[in-house]
Amino acid sequence: MLAIYKKELKSYFTSMTGYVFIAFFLVIIGIYYVIYNMIQLYANFEYVLSSVSFIFILLVPILTMRLMAEENKQKTDQLLFTSPLPVGKIIAGKYFAVLTVFLTVMGIISLYPLILMQFGTLSLKVAYGSILGFFLLGAAYIAIGLFISALTESQVVAAVVSFVVILITALMDGIVNLLPKDKKSAWIILSIIIIVLCWLAYLMMNNLTISLSAGIIAEVVLTVFYLIKPTVFDGLVSRVFNWFSVIARFDNYTQGVLDLSSAVYFISIVFLFQFLTVQAIKKRRWS
Amino acid sequence: MIEVNNLVKRFGDHLAVDNLSFTVEKGQILGFLGPNGAGKSTTMNIVTGYISATEGSVIINGHDIFDEPEEAKKCIGYLPELPPLYQDMTVKEYLNFVADLKMVKKSEKNKMIAKIIGMTKIADVSERLIKQLSKGFKQRVGLAQAMMGFPDVLILDEPTVGLDPMQIIEIRDLIKRLSKDHTIILSSHILSEVSAVCDTVMIINKGKLIVSDTPDNLSKHIGGSNGLHLQIKGDKEKINAALSDIEEITKIDYESGAKDGIITLTAYCSEDNDIREAVFYALSDARCPILNMQSSNMSLEDIFLEVTQSKGRNKHGQGLGRRKNGPVKSNEAPSQAATDQVAALQKEQNQETESEEEN
Repeated sequence: MLAIYKKELKSYFTSMTGYVFIAFFLVIIGIYYVIYNMIQLYANFEYVLSSVSFIFILLVPILTMRLMAEENKQKTDQLLFTSPLPVGKIIAGKYFAVLTVFLTVMGIISLYPLILMQFGTLSLKVAYGSILGFFLLGAAYIAIGLFISALTESQVVAAVVSFVVILITALMDGIVNLLPKDKKSAWIILSIIIIVLCWLAYLMMNNLTISLSAGIIAEVVLTVFYLIKPTVFDGLVSRVFNWFSVIARFDNYTQGVLDLSSAVYFISIVFLFQFLTVQAIKKRRWS
Repeated sequence: MIEVNNLVKRFGDHLAVDNLSFTVEKGQILGFLGPNGAGKSTTMNIVTGYISATEGSVIINGHDIFDEPEEAKKCIGYLPELPPLYQDMTVKEYLNFVADLKMVKKSEKNKMIAKIIGMTKIADVSERLIKQLSKGFKQRVGLAQAMMGFPDVLILDEPTVGLDPMQIIEIRDLIKRLSKDHTIILSSHILSEVSAVCDTVMIINKGKLIVSDTPDNLSKHIGGSNGLHLQIKGDKEKINAALSDIEEITKIDYESGAKDGIITLTAYCSEDNDIREAVFYALSDARCPILNMQSSNMSLEDIFLEVTQSKGRNKHGQGLGRRKNGPVKSNEAPSQAATDQVAALQKEQNQETESEEEN
């Protein structure tokens, strides 16, 4: 695992990617820092982080697009997957390498509140709490980017898909407000989701009976629930879609709440997508 | 030691490997031979654990590649068709990474890298970026990568592709030296290479094993009988009379168009007889000087074309059957029939590559 980690980290800094990522990140944060804290004289570093969370939409794809797509394209995955290292460790090594690049940025950012301290008082707890939240948010996005990169041979496709996925999770907050809140549309939307999931399961497993019967069972359960306890369906759609709103979880941290459930949420995303990446790679080799 | 049992691999409807079984003992070199798209690379990818098999088992040094992949992969060094090189690394960095990846002990690492660089003769380029290397050097770096850690089993997919003749000989020698303490499988569509290096040759076509034997036996058996190609100065009747006294000769083919009183003919006898001396004395008694005498076993090229072609016409295993009419007159080549065969083979290959691309 250490071999992969070292190799990945090195490749970030022998190519431009690592430097571009760090520089771009620092420039954007620097601009907001100057505007909020130096010109408008807010004593809140968390405002900066809250405003720059959109940065992940642009920068995470740059960081993660290469990870597996390049290996698939250059056929160097043949070297990795015929080595004695299990797939999980290879993926973990790669993930930690990206995380290290990201941590470099976070390390530099951690100095900013201290600089601010020289000119007045500010709540360090809130500032560092929000930096922690920011880091967890980034870690979750990087895991998603890594997963998408493992699905394709093309860096461009990986970058575009990661961009869109992260954009959707960022816009989800606004989308949720537009969704209908009554019971009937909740039932319809959930039914559509079940159909889509079954179709995906069919594509992945190529087994019509399993996916079809699973879909029918889910649909029946849903309908029975709807008939027996319709109150559950009030506002269900927005609740379901809120699960996908990754950025909204970060907002708590910027308001000075050290939200444990959000931390668990981010960390489970990391593990879930690590797991999915390994499964995707295995599936490709086993089909 | 490698044991492969009833290996089957399907890509959708396409059957890439069809019930392949073989065993390679330690210290042996097995050569896969077959046209493009025959399933050589697929088989190797399965044996190294890169892709799975639809059915069958692969056992490397007692470890099943599907059940204990980590243990089995420790025993394998693999050079794929396209060497898996990181273009932005120098050769040294790359080998260093591979050594770490294959868990070579820290204390032995530098020594081993230096040794392998020496064996594959890449010392001159060891500080250069891989993307700047020529194809031949890239191939050697790929080979160096496979040798890293000196695993028991080496699997080399077309190891001499892209090398110049001098380098090919060097690499062949290297492979032969390696075979002393490694089990090696290599694939090639260059026949002379296989016959020069391998202990056993497996000819594969469309995923099926067609023939498996030593290169010598192959040319003997498939020929069905020994042939002796002769150029004799003298009269046809006199020669015929002299040769017909030799009992072992089963058949004589005369080539038409004798020039300047020189008769060209091929005499056949059964496999285990040596008629050369008898022919010499018989003809010298008849005062017909022999200008040229040459045994005309089928070359591996002929066998290859023969078995991969007859596969299409007949059922499995027919390539081994002895033909009644005696062997192909290999010295008569390039005859129209042979060129047709080559053209047909190429056409078939093209179709196969196309269908593979669709997949």
